[in-house]
Amino acid sequence: MFLQVLFLLSATLTIGCGIAVAVTRNLMHSCVFLLGTLIGIAGLYATLGADFVAVTQIMVYVGGIVILMLFAVMLTGGKDFVSRAQNLLGLAPSMGNKWTFALSGLVGVVFILTNVKLLMSVASSLPTKEINNELPSTVNEIGHLLVKDHVLAFELSSVLLLGALVGAAIIARPRKQ
Amino acid sequence: MTPTSFDGLMPVVIFMGIAVALFWGGHFASVLLAPSKPSHLKSTPYECGEQPVGSAWSMFNVRFYVVGLIFIIFDVESVLMFPVAAIFRELNDMGQGAYALIIFLSFISVLIEGIAYCWKKGDLDWVKSFQVSHKKRS
Amino acid sequence: MNQTVVSYLAQYEFFDSLLALFGGNQGLLTFVIFMIFCLAIVGMCATIGGLGTYAERKISADIQARIGPNRVGPYGILQFLADGVKMMTKEDVMPFSADKFLFYLAPMLALVGVFATLAVLPFSTGFTLSDMNVGIFYLIAISSLVGVSVFLGGYASNSKWSMLGGMRGASQIISYEIPVTISILAITLLAGGMGFGTISAHQRGLPTNWFIFHNPFSFIAFFVYFVGALAETNRAPFDLPEAESELVSGYHTEYTGMRFGFFALAEYIEVFVVCGVGAALFLGGSNLPVDLSFDIIPLQLVEVVIFMTKALLLYYVVIWIRWTFPRLRVDQLMSICWKYLTPIAIFNLVGCAIWVVLFNGKSVAQLLMGGGH
Repeated sequence: MFLQVLFLLSATLTIGCGIAVAVTRNLMHSCVFLLGTLIGIAGLYATLGADFVAVTQIMVYVGGIVILMLFAVMLTGGKDFVSRAQNLLGLAPSMGNKWTFALSGLVGVVFILTNVKLLMSVASSLPTKEINNELPSTVNEIGHLLVKDHVLAFELSSVLLLGALVGAAIIARPRKQ
Repeated sequence: MTPTSFDGLMPVVIFMGIAVALFWGGHFASVLLAPSKPSHLKSTPYECGEQPVGSAWSMFNVRFYVVGLIFIIFDVESVLMFPVAAIFRELNDMGQGAYALIIFLSFISVLIEGIAYCWKKGDLDWVKSFQVSHKKRS
Repeated sequence: MNQTVVSYLAQYEFFDSLLALFGGNQGLLTFVIFMIFCLAIVGMCATIGGLGTYAERKISADIQARIGPNRVGPYGILQFLADGVKMMTKEDVMPFSADKFLFYLAPMLALVGVFATLAVLPFSTGFTLSDMNVGIFYLIAISSLVGVSVFLGGYASNSKWSMLGGMRGASQIISYEIPVTISILAITLLAGGMGFGTISAHQRGLPTNWFIFHNPFSFIAFFVYFVGALAETNRAPFDLPEAESELVSGYHTEYTGMRFGFFALAEYIEVFVVCGVGAALFLGGSNLPVDLSFDIIPLQLVEVVIFMTKALLLYYVVIWIRWTFPRLRVDQLMSICWKYLTPIAIFNLVGCAIWVVLFNGKSVAQLLMGGGH
């Protein structure tokens, strides 16, 4: 029962805030709605029993990425952040013409159809699983996988992050004139 | 490793609900109780008695953004380290302590390398980067 | 091992009669029990937050050889109620250039972020609302909502003081999250789990079993955690985001009435949560000094008292520090975080990892008493 409630709450939050991100005119507001979407996704992970992934979602996205986005908006600064007619309904000229819309619509339809086809075959072959109302611990499994099967990926990810750190530092350094 | 029921998540939702309810409850209580005599002067932003000039929404220094970037990188590193740290003792009890230690230390050493690099290049200094850019400009 | 307060209560016989009262609807009963405990904890924390303002003024008065609030009630102890009523009856002013939506949202986010952390706080072994497997990790993650709310509060006011305070506050909160997280990582490593139940089970018994005395590295880690936590909650000497002498009041300059009250409440409860986490991770949590083989509900209440005592002692230290140390400069703030605390925290983490492998996870006291076994 609670699982369904949690799912409904998370799904509503995700979809509602996702739509709000797209249609709101204010950049800052859409950042905040994005926060709601990300929390909703964390809730969806939690309903799937992936507690660690859910918390990671909150930790990295809500605590990090959203703040970074807010800072990035403050970097642009200056004018008020209300963009003029660039929402979904206003269709500003910069958003494209009828050909680009037609093309993107076609791509979207093909994409959705492919996905439906793929997912249908997966869904029909899945065994009907009972909801056992148990939340297993995923942390230990993830830990064991990280140090045993995926140890190379684990170590390489630190190198990747080192690269990101150095890159961030270099980009932000005051330029030589 | 005992499994918890999904009910363990219920307090989180309840607490969030209580927080939202408390906020709106307090808001409506103050709507009912508080006086409301708005005036233009009252609702100008506070600037110690001066007339505010312009908006506060202006460009901010890039170093706030740098702090955010460095934070995210460390955040992701700690997220990756948490599951390994959680089973470290278990691995040690299974007699694989040395192996786990090597894996863990090599992960952290890359992190230390990153900090050392930023430190050496002066990216961790709050003032220095500003002074350097100031000197260059003049 | 009991995982939530409901599964703890389910051991007892009266749970079955309660279940019968609800017509066997276990979901509803679970919800009701959680609701009662959540409301009780919110009430308790609101009182602690309120008394925190009183304690702060009284202790500061003591330190500065003044009398402090002494008019409302005996020793002025009802001052916080008077303050609450005052907040509620204050006019609600919003700057005309403010971002209305975010202006409302910011204090709400602060409240949500702080209240959600209460769900895993281990008041006692049985009365922990929910002992998740990812307990401490969840707490770090969800409390980062406060950083967002500080920024949004500063931004939405559209006042220069608020904006500066909000930017400073958000960047300070996220920077100091790093040493705090790494110190907590060291404790996760020692305890072999992130759940508060696991962590507290490892510290059972005499204070020599507490993680602060486990090894030299965890001893330092406690201080790193505490300093970082002070900065994360914007407390003095790290209260630059709300530095009175330079920024008026920082991110909540434009907030009046109830919404200011919510910011203040969130801040005081967050300080309590941070102190509670410090007590649970390093100071043995709610464990009794002796190991008892039986478990009854009054014993749980004793555990709650032990936990609260430790947390409130840390709370006292926080206030004490505020009136003892001068405020830092912003460049000192950043260099303390990145050049001192973070390297020390990483050093502690490495030290703890090596300690666990070398000494098989035994604490100093165990090694001394074990005599080389």
